[in-house]
This record gives sequence, structure tokens and C-alpha cells, in this order.
Amino acid sequence: MKKKNPGSIAVMLLVMIYLLIPLVISIIYSVFKKWTGILPEGFSIGNYTSLFSDPNFLASVGRSVGMCIVPILLTIIIVLLALFVTTIYFPKLEKYVQIICMIPYTIQGVILSVSILSLYVGTKSILSNRMVMLMGAYCIVILPYIYQGIRNGMRAVNMLTLIEAAEMLGASKIYAFFRVVVPNIISAIIVSSLLAVGIIFGDYVLIRNLAGTSAPNMQIFLYQTMKSDSTKASAVFVIIMFVTFVITAIVLFLKSREGKDRVQKK
Amino acid sequence: MKRKTYIYLLALVPFLIVAMLYEIVPLITVILKSFQSDGGTGFTLENYQAVFSKLLYQKAILNSLKISLTSAIIGIIIAFLGARAAHQHQGKLNHIFMAVLNMVSNFAGIPLAFAYMILLGNAGLIVSIGKEFGIDMLANYNLYTMNGMSLIYVYFQIPLSTLLLIPAFDGVQKQWKEACTLLGGTQGLFWRKVGVPVLMPSILSTFSVLFANALAAYATIYALMMDNIALLPVQIAGCFTGEVRIRAGLGGALSVVMMLIMVIMILITNGLSKQFQKGGNRK
Repeated sequence: MKKKNPGSIAVMLLVMIYLLIPLVISIIYSVFKKWTGILPEGFSIGNYTSLFSDPNFLASVGRSVGMCIVPILLTIIIVLLALFVTTIYFPKLEKYVQIICMIPYTIQGVILSVSILSLYVGTKSILSNRMVMLMGAYCIVILPYIYQGIRNGMRAVNMLTLIEAAEMLGASKIYAFFRVVVPNIISAIIVSSLLAVGIIFGDYVLIRNLAGTSAPNMQIFLYQTMKSDSTKASAVFVIIMFVTFVITAIVLFLKSREGKDRVQKK
Repeated sequence: MKRKTYIYLLALVPFLIVAMLYEIVPLITVILKSFQSDGGTGFTLENYQAVFSKLLYQKAILNSLKISLTSAIIGIIIAFLGARAAHQHQGKLNHIFMAVLNMVSNFAGIPLAFAYMILLGNAGLIVSIGKEFGIDMLANYNLYTMNGMSLIYVYFQIPLSTLLLIPAFDGVQKQWKEACTLLGGTQGLFWRKVGVPVLMPSILSTFSVLFANALAAYATIYALMMDNIALLPVQIAGCFTGEVRIRAGLGGALSVVMMLIMVIMILITNGLSKQFQKGGNRK
């Protein structure tokens, strides 16, 4: 059908090489003792073994994971509740919910973090606790992704028809929503939560500005190590990138499977 | 009936609380504080005066504009070529291409800064190669300048922009290309007169995403330069987290300027994009 196009192949290869060089070099760097000349010297996985016995590193991994859980669960719940009410009872309000959910797209990290910081830092309430500020900020940062994921999921399963059908069988609207609609869009929820995990995992701006260095996550740990020991930092780098790629791969896999399901249903 | 449904509004409350506490009220206060002097009350424009009269902040605005525009333009050109290549060639390579783009699209922030430090830092690999073989351009590469860092900006723009543009190419139909060839047009002519104008709305909206992306980029730059560079996000964060006292008014004014730049860019690209949609009679 389409003829092979050498120019196109060359362009794609060039772009890929450009994108992969920094990654590949950093990975090679992490398994050698020293790389000051042109070729690396002294193959060793010492960086990894010392890293996994470093309690500070393990604590930062734990924090990175822990910090994902609260904001993601909270955001999913509030968005589900909000969309439940607006789509069923007050469709006119939906527009406003959407606007609120989309604003974080344009105010990215720096402005969001400094505005939250300057508002609460002096007050003597629970809101001035740095962890509480950080969790709140994470909720806002992931809001657009969770919202879009859940919204698209609802559209795809034709929520109103589902609820009508459940009501005809004697279920209440609330029951229908949480026991029929939510299980049907669970894969959309999982995909958007994974995207959110990726965002929180990769965050440096918010945690630095809001929590300072009191509770380092993996990104801050990488930042601190790269200033002192770059071979050790390269091992941290590889682990962070590995986790990120696994998350991306799962998201892509789930999305493609969802797409196939839909095609089959049609 | 009416009263009963209003009870359900309660389910909106948690959402509104979170949005108010961490999105709307903080934003409004930052804007309000930008019109107040620190510690004082009452309306003043002194923060904006400082922003537009102090050399550091003028430079920050100019540098941010410059690097966002250039990196967005270079990013969009590479994305156009890459997406066109993916559109013209069908095969296994496309899957690999997409996989690499998706993978690398999350490669940003501190890890990206680290990788570039290894490659192009003072003792970086490419710099060493340049020294060994006497290639001055590589040997003297200085990552820690505005120009040096522009490579990093271009790097993180490429996967994002290509991924955004690839779906748009589905709108370029094969028949148009055939019609163009039948009338004696070349490939180049086709893309100049048909392809690019048809794609223009997508190109423009991608451009504004790239611009915003570059304008707000902070982590990578901070990792390399700390606070020692005149760029808007770095200066904003410096106003609030610096060792010295917090300058909320000034930081607020800088934030407002940055948000305005973003809004203006969105308005410009939207306006231009309407022009292109008016011109064609696509359905």
C-alpha cells in the first residue's frame, strides 16, 4: 500500500537516537566505577548494592509511595461524588466543576506551590502543617487527570442509561452509581490513578517548595546525591526511570486493551 | 421533590472544600497580595513597578519569553518532521517510535538534569570526547548558561509535541496527496499548500502547550543552576523560599505576569487558529 520511505525512517531513527542517548549513557554510567575519559572503567554493581542498603534511600522510596496514596484516593472520591451529583441532578453545574478541574493545567507547579505556601505558612492551624499543604497541592495537580479519566469513563459506558436500567430493576440512584457505574469504569479510574502516580513520583517542585528537605522523596534524594556522588546518583536515576517506565507501560497496556474491548463490543 | 434533590448538593461539598482551600483561594490571595506592599495593607502598584524597573526581573521576563518561544518553535518543527515521518511510513518502526516517545515523555525534572550533567556538564562525556579529538565546539560547551540549557528545553519538548501532533496527521487524507500529484505538484508543494494549512490549528494548539510547558519548567533548571539564573519560575520560587525574608508581593506580581503571558499566548494561538479554520471549508 504505502511504499517504504527512507527519508521517514531516517527521521524517526534520528529522533529516537537523540531521545535515547542521555538515557543510555546514564544507565551505562551507573554500572561502572568511574567514567572520566572516553570509555568507562571498572564494571561494578556496587552502586546498586550500596543504594539498597542505604536507609535514607529506602526511606525516600517509602515516602514517594506513601505520598501517592492519600491524594489519589481523596481526589478520586471527591471527583466521583462531584460528578455523581452534577451529571444526575444538576447538569448545569457540570460546566463549573469542569472549569475548576482544568485550571491546574495552566497554573503549573511553581505558582501553585508558592500560592499555597504564602497563604498558609504563618497560620497556626492544621493547614499550616507542611505535609497537609503538600497533600492538598498534590490533589490539585492530579485533579485534571483524574477528572478527565473518570469523565471519559462515564461517557464510554453511557452512564445515564446504565442508571436508568438499574433503577428499573429497583435500585436507587446512589446504589446504581456506586455499585453499577463505578465498577464499570474501574479501569478508567486505574489508568488515571497511574498517571497521577507518575506525576507525584516525578514531582520535585511542590515537595521542595512546600515540605522543604524535611521529608525527601526519591527526586530530592537524587538531587542531593547528584551534588556529591554522581555514580551513586546514576543508580538512583536508573531506579527512578525504571519505575516511571513500568508505570507508563502499564498505562499504555491498559489503554490499548480498553480500546480493543470497545471495538469488539461494537 | 425539589427539596429532596437539593440534599444531594452535599456530595459536592468535599470537592468544593479541596478546590477552595488549595486552588481558588490561594490563587486569589496571590493576585491580591501582588497589589499590596509586604506587611502593609491598601492598594499599591509598587510590586509591578519593581518587576518592570529592576534589571533582574526584566531579564527574567525576557529570558523566559525567549527560551519558551525558541524551544517551542524548534520543538514544533522537529515534531512536525517526526509526526510526518510516522504518518508516511507504516511498519514495525512506528511502534518502536511511539513506545520511545511515550517512555521519554516522562523523562523530565531532576533525572533529566542529571543525565545532561553527565553528558554535557563540565566533565561530561561529550565534552571529554570534544577535548580528546580537539572539537572546540564540544569541548567548550557550557551547560550552565541560558544557551547551554536550551538543549534541555528542546529535549523535553520533542516527545510531548510529537505525541500531540501524530493524531492530527490522520486528518491529512491520501486522496489530497494523489490529487496534488495528478495536478503536477511535488511533495514539498503539497505540504506547503495543503498539509501545513490543514494541520495549522493542531500545530498552533500544540505550540501553546509547548510554550506553557517551557515557561513553567522549573525542576530541571533549578537542579543545574539553583537560584542563580534570571528566569521567571526560578525568581518566583526565590521570592517565597529564599533564605532572606519572604517577598510575597513581589513574587505575586511575578506570578501574575507569568500567568498573563500564558493567557496571552493562548489567546493569540486561538485567534490565529480560527483564521485557519475560517479559510478552509472542512467539515
